[in-house]
Amino acid sequence: MAHSTHAAVVDEKELWEGGVSPFNISYGKTMMWFFLVSDALTFGGLLCAYGFMRHRFADLWPRAEHVFVHFPFVKEHIPLAYVGLMTFILIMSSVTMVLAVEAGQRKDKKRAAIWMLATILGGFMFLGSQAWEWYNFIVGTDHGTLRWVWSDEQQRYIQQMIHGANMTVNEYGIPQFANFFFFITGFHGFHVFSGVVLNIIIFIQVLSNVMEKRGHYEMIEKVGLYWHFVDLVWVFVFTFFYLV
Amino acid sequence: MHFHDDYPEYEKMAIHGEEEGKKARKVLWNVFWLMLIVTITELVVGFLAPEKGWTGTLSLRVFFIFFTLVKAGGIVLYFMHLKHEKTFLKYTILLPYSIFILYAIYILIVEGTYSMNPRFRNKVDKIYFEQQEQLKANAHHSESATH
Repeated sequence: MAHSTHAAVVDEKELWEGGVSPFNISYGKTMMWFFLVSDALTFGGLLCAYGFMRHRFADLWPRAEHVFVHFPFVKEHIPLAYVGLMTFILIMSSVTMVLAVEAGQRKDKKRAAIWMLATILGGFMFLGSQAWEWYNFIVGTDHGTLRWVWSDEQQRYIQQMIHGANMTVNEYGIPQFANFFFFITGFHGFHVFSGVVLNIIIFIQVLSNVMEKRGHYEMIEKVGLYWHFVDLVWVFVFTFFYLV
Repeated sequence: MHFHDDYPEYEKMAIHGEEEGKKARKVLWNVFWLMLIVTITELVVGFLAPEKGWTGTLSLRVFFIFFTLVKAGGIVLYFMHLKHEKTFLKYTILLPYSIFILYAIYILIVEGTYSMNPRFRNKVDKIYFEQQEQLKANAHHSESATH
């Protein structure tokens, strides 16, 4: 990609005098970057809050390898395997996205469409995996754990056998873990869902020759930036929820 | 002024032929293999950690966070193409973000320890710890009753 020859196109001295983008990228891409910075700050803030709570309740915090141990069609408990698969799916869909961008830069409609479709499929696979992960977390284990819960009828705390987790009780540890898990992975899952919707729109536009008429496939780059950002957030969620 | 809709001349430089495309794809696949190897290494270490007694150690955390930053770098620099953007754009994106996040982490570390103060902590978590104590006592009681 011949980005080293920028200076030949726009004179450095005239860059900041208006009329041209001083960043050498289009308006749409610049704004997508700025949006992603603000979105990254949101996720950064959420993960910092998570770290704060986890540090504070370090002795009560459940360990991920005791919680997320399920794998489809396997009876034995395998910690981390399923989330590893999810990570692989998302990284793979990031690669197919960047290949779609590259095909678009060659104005190769067929390849761009194929890689976009692969990205969409990867997105759906990830969403399905996350739904399955949530299902197992909410349902919990057969044996359950005894916890104190507030009883509205008796106006006091009573002991109850808890299976799984929700926003108020958590079988595996303190409720804050479940709250952060639902909120951060849910917020990320919502981003994945939005990304899939955007990808589908662009995929249809590629198929219906919108890009061909426009003369360039830059729109794929813009949704591609968003899609890579979703992958980027998952890399951090994966580390702080499952590994550390 | 229809500033937002035009496609600047210099953007067309991203349009390239098959020859350059091959090179670009090779770089992308290399980044992918690196990320895959890093992820598998992380998972293996995470899997082995409990039995090797690494769980919760500082070095394990540093290990994970370092490799997370490696992966993040791969995504931002190569997949999001930031490595090949203008230096000024790089700083516009990375500097404000780094400043805010470093500040958040600083506050987290400095102020976060305030609540670890035993006096404060016992007040807040009193109910929880009392319940846990009672739970333990009950469990012990029922255990001894069955024996």
